[in-house]
Amino acid sequence: MKADGEYFVTRRILIIDDEDDIRQVAALSLETVAGWDVVLANSGKQGIERASVEQPDAILLDVMMPEMDGPTTFLKLKANQKTSHIPVLLLTAKVQGPDQRRFADLGVAAILFKPFDPLTLAGQISSVLGWKDSA
Amino acid sequence: MSNLPPDHAPPAGADGNSPVRDDTQQKLHQLLAGLWEQSRNTVAAHVETLQQARTLAENGQLDDAGRARAIDSAHKLAGVLGTFGLPRGTELARVAEEAFREPAGPGPQKAEALRPALDELHNLVQAAVTYQGS
Repeated sequence: MKADGEYFVTRRILIIDDEDDIRQVAALSLETVAGWDVVLANSGKQGIERASVEQPDAILLDVMMPEMDGPTTFLKLKANQKTSHIPVLLLTAKVQGPDQRRFADLGVAAILFKPFDPLTLAGQISSVLGWKDSA
Repeated sequence: MSNLPPDHAPPAGADGNSPVRDDTQQKLHQLLAGLWEQSRNTVAAHVETLQQARTLAENGQLDDAGRARAIDSAHKLAGVLGTFGLPRGTELARVAEEAFREPAGPGPQKAEALRPALDELHNLVQAAVTYQGS
């Protein structure tokens, strides 16, 4: 509960990224700054399984991954009844305009860019998803 | 487009508006410092991959597999260095990624031209013994 009496909502976020460093920094950031629960997956396949079981409030999905990339993973999440309702935010180091347009056309909730600021990542997610009650 | 906050603006907290508390910032800084210590060798290995690929390209010996490894390393560095407080590292890694993404990769002349950027990247990572974030 906040000091002014409003209640916060604890969120659960699934981070799908093949890079250990990024998964760990993002997890530390969201857990420390926001107090959110974080679930990790190191591949698209594992991410789809975790999303189905854990039912996160949102998914942070890396674009460039081996075997199953972010856009393919996103389409599979949307095609699955158990995960289609979960908002997905793409996380990408690709800065070229055509790439950004292609990702936006997929229908993702937002595109966040690497490198991100660990102090503000949770705030960015809250802003784009309209979460004003997050811890 | 960058996600980094404008200079002098206090970082927004989990609700996207209220500032992050000082003690939370300190705790996160300590955790990230520990993570940088763990990650630094991996980061340095990616830089070495780029330097080796550049040398091979300069000699006309860079094959497709080596170019793919260089693109992957440059992409990973571009994504992570700024997050660890090294935005210049991200810029330099992007220069390398662009060069190695060119069809057939950089020729000898472009590989030679890439040397100062990779030397600077190497020196920057070697100098960052501790976490560089604020």
